[in-house]
Amino acid sequence: MSNKIVPSIYRAVIDDVMGSIKHEFEEYGVSEEVLQDLQRKWEDKVIASRVAEFDPPNPAPHFPSHSMPMMPQYAAVHNPYPPPPQVAQSQSSQQQVKTEPVDSRYMLNNANYTLPPLPGPKLNGVPPRPNLGGQTSVISFPSGPQPGRPTIPQVDGPSDDSDDSATPPPASYAPRASHPSLPQPQASSSAAPADSEAINSDLDDSDTEDEDLEDGAGANTDIVFCTYDKVARVKSKWKCILKDGMIHANGKDYLFSRCTGEFDWV
Amino acid sequence: MATAYYEFYRGSSIGMALTDSLDELITSGAITPQLAMKVLQQFDKSLADTMVKQVKAKTTLKGHLKTYRLCDDVWTFIVKQASFKMEQNEVITTPRIKIIACKNGDAIEAGKK
Repeated sequence: MSNKIVPSIYRAVIDDVMGSIKHEFEEYGVSEEVLQDLQRKWEDKVIASRVAEFDPPNPAPHFPSHSMPMMPQYAAVHNPYPPPPQVAQSQSSQQQVKTEPVDSRYMLNNANYTLPPLPGPKLNGVPPRPNLGGQTSVISFPSGPQPGRPTIPQVDGPSDDSDDSATPPPASYAPRASHPSLPQPQASSSAAPADSEAINSDLDDSDTEDEDLEDGAGANTDIVFCTYDKVARVKSKWKCILKDGMIHANGKDYLFSRCTGEFDWV
Repeated sequence: MATAYYEFYRGSSIGMALTDSLDELITSGAITPQLAMKVLQQFDKSLADTMVKQVKAKTTLKGHLKTYRLCDDVWTFIVKQASFKMEQNEVITTPRIKIIACKNGDAIEAGKK
């Protein structure tokens, strides 16, 4: 039964949200057309997901189907309201202009940083050139290169050259440099990360890794969003009390106000 | 609205539908990201309130617990061969399901970034 009530609950939520944000939309000076557009899009997507059986929300005659007529109708909006399209166009063109230089710089630095695993020491020579001064300017650079950075500090010890902008203290660098045995580990460890692309522990549970990969695979993974009142375990028997939950299973949504769970864990 | 509500319902079907719709409107320039944030916050509140007020269904769940994790007061379970028993003898089974449960207690801030 908790699937049958889903449409009415969702309808109530949508109506409640729409009613409450109307005030916000007015405050922001956004037209009611946009509000209705949002509602239509939202309803369309919820219906399209087919998580429950919905009635068609809009009985209005000039909307036979939502997807197609929306486009020409939206285009017609532009004619009676000249200012918004101009603003939108200038904004979009500004955005395009703005994003291009960022993109090229991003890509330039990204190209540098995709090299890292192999030429560890060589990397140190490359960033100072575009950044005009090495460590501090790398940190102050936009967030683009930084996602690529973490792979460098994770590279094993000997390639400390690339660690200068990351957290390991420089004090650890100096004593190591004095060790004559340094070049040998450098050569061997720079090869190892290239194979694994990161520091991996042999203790990593490959089962959970595979599951996490499966998990990212789109909207059809079964999932429950809820709150817990109590989670308890006796030996390998788990018992939990869950509240106010939304289950997405086998492509359908179910709702519960209370759920008692019993699992055994091996 | 002095208190915040959990944001994890935004990952549900209805939440993702709203997020995608808002993203489309942001991309087309019809609304600002700040307004979209307000809408999502309102969604958090409306959904939580509606669920509490209107949903009364009770269910039981059995299965084999594959993984459990507790971090920041959030339990994550991966259950295999799960079967939900709904009212009216409705049974839902799935080979694998993930359960994300935040600590109960209304209006707790979920994001502590």
